[in-house]
Amino acid sequence: MNLIEVRNINKYFDQPTRMQVLADLSFDIEKGHFVSITGKSGSGKSTLLYLLSTMDTAFEGSIRINGEEMQGKRNRWLADFRNHHIGFVFQFHYLLPEFSVLRNVMLPALKLGRYTPDEIEYRAIDLLQLLGVGDQAPKRASLLSGGQQQRVAIARALINDPLIIMGDEPTGNLDSQNAAIVFDLFRKLSSERGQTILTVTHDDDFARRSDKVIHLVDGRIAG
Amino acid sequence: MKIFTNIKLAATIAFTHMRARLKQTVIATAGVAFGITVFIFMVSFIQGSNDFVQAVAFEQSPHLRLYNEIQTASSSIMDRADPGAVNVVSHVKPKDILLSLKDGPQIVQALQQDPRVAAISGAVSTQVFYRLGSSTINGSINGIRFEQENALFNLQAKLVDGSFKELSTLPNSIVLGVGLARRLNVKTGDRMEVTTEKGNNFSVKVVGIFKTGLTDIDKQQSYASLNTVQRFLEVPVSYITDIKIKLHDMELAPAMSRELQAKYGFHGSDWKQDNAALLEGDALRKMIVYGVAVTILLVAGFGIFNILTMMIYEKMKDIAILKAMGFSDSDIRWIFLVQALFIGLTGALLGLVFGFLAAYGISKMPYKSDVMITLDHLPVSFSAMYYVTGFTFGILTTTLAGYLPSRKAAQVDPITILRG
Ligand SMILES: Nc1ncnc2c1ncn2[C@@H]1O[C@H](COP(=O)(O)OP(=O)(O)O)[C@@H](O)[C@H]1O
Ligand SMILES: [Mg+2]
Repeated sequence: MNLIEVRNINKYFDQPTRMQVLADLSFDIEKGHFVSITGKSGSGKSTLLYLLSTMDTAFEGSIRINGEEMQGKRNRWLADFRNHHIGFVFQFHYLLPEFSVLRNVMLPALKLGRYTPDEIEYRAIDLLQLLGVGDQAPKRASLLSGGQQQRVAIARALINDPLIIMGDEPTGNLDSQNAAIVFDLFRKLSSERGQTILTVTHDDDFARRSDKVIHLVDGRIAG
Repeated sequence: MKIFTNIKLAATIAFTHMRARLKQTVIATAGVAFGITVFIFMVSFIQGSNDFVQAVAFEQSPHLRLYNEIQTASSSIMDRADPGAVNVVSHVKPKDILLSLKDGPQIVQALQQDPRVAAISGAVSTQVFYRLGSSTINGSINGIRFEQENALFNLQAKLVDGSFKELSTLPNSIVLGVGLARRLNVKTGDRMEVTTEKGNNFSVKVVGIFKTGLTDIDKQQSYASLNTVQRFLEVPVSYITDIKIKLHDMELAPAMSRELQAKYGFHGSDWKQDNAALLEGDALRKMIVYGVAVTILLVAGFGIFNILTMMIYEKMKDIAILKAMGFSDSDIRWIFLVQALFIGLTGALLGLVFGFLAAYGISKMPYKSDVMITLDHLPVSFSAMYYVTGFTFGILTTTLAGYLPSRKAAQVDPITILRG
């Protein structure tokens, strides 16, 4: 079953001059697969990922996720969709610095409102423990090390049990040991929980062990 | 329901932001509080003084007055005798009309039945010379029925010495203005003389001294009974020159003045005409108060605008992350709007409290007035209206000041920030 169906996507940037970044992309991603987007710097990997994340709405073509068309949807609908179905891990381990680690993980779930705050807290602590940072929960997010912060960010991405977890070079800023931990975790999530993983990566090892690789060359799929 | 929980969540984020910037938040709140405090204080104090000055003036001025005026005859007797011809009469003398109001006492009785009328007094007023020894002072004397006149002007409260009671019992008795008594150097119990315009002399006894606070009145006016003045003027008991009326609703005065003028053919005047300058000054002072308050609130609003704009620049990353995890544009707008609203609300409420305390404090300050004998503290007006206005003002400015930055925050494009 296809979770994501991309048809004939074109993406242009108008500044400084009009140029095409993505040209006529079409592909499918199956539910539960571990997919890597690779390519040289500037080939359009991040641009593609942000289109799939529903945050970038200025494109031509069609993106269907979980049977829903993303083209032409309103901001509130898309925000809600992200909240339900997409967990995001960034290259820079962006946490909200003034909130506690626990609170950072809880926020998307509080927004979703599916569980009570007590249940959410319980689940958040569970996730933090799973990722090996359970003891950091009450600390201010800004006090953690880079590797720890990235694990917290992953816990945050997982809190709403999303269909898809997306990452823009999620291991790009980590040493090889931490990168390996994150990679294994992603593998485990896709095989055990059936979650679809979609990451932009430079890491050949990371890519080689994926279920599918989308390799971009100048905004087109190669091979 | 969902929107409520969304706003609640936005509010908890807003409060975390504010706690992290406690100092700036406190300063912005203090700015709003200061603006409202000054507004409440100034408007209470200035309105209090206005009310007080007006009360003094209005107590001497009836809501409505009917009188006659000497006027130039509109047509000469020649015109009336020979209507078709061209008649030239140069230097026409003023018509010798009586100042008396025709059928005055009957009209007073008729108007007493009018449901709009609260009190009415028919009086005779005339110019006289007050004399004692070698000093002669020009002034006016009012012939009144004390009960009627007191119902209009609360004369009893203005009495500083003696009494009004003897006016009706003792013939040729008189109550003098305090300035007049000082100039004549007389006190209660002394005798003096009054000379009418026709040259008749009467010996009168001073039975009391009054003080209205308006120097123009106090230094040249006196009261005597209606009968006494009528006797001085050698006129019948039906002779009165002024009808003064107090209404239940003073706003009706101008209309009623026109009505009565048309009905009886007298001249008329109402309190708005009589106190036009005073009322104009009142309006100007109020404009100044509102001007100052608006200025302060604009400055305070600018403070809120500033802190929020700065906050949004610092928080670009947070905004992008929140959007990525599923917060909508309007959720983000609420986060910043809540901060503005909280600062506005807290500031406004504090301002109301401090404004009230300041106004209350000054109303307890001892103040010796030369004008109103009953006044011993500074005049301050307390009205719920000022507090409602101040509060509305504060909330409006801060909401406006918060709206623009929060709209900007909502428009932040998360991708440009997350891309790094
Ligand atoms: N906001 C933007 N405006 C204009 N050009 C952009 C913008 N973002 C990216 N680009 C350009 O689009 C191309 C693809 O960028 P990107 O998707 O970030 O590549 P990658 O992630 O593969 O390195 C690059 O040439 C980049 O300069
Ligand atoms: Mg990139």
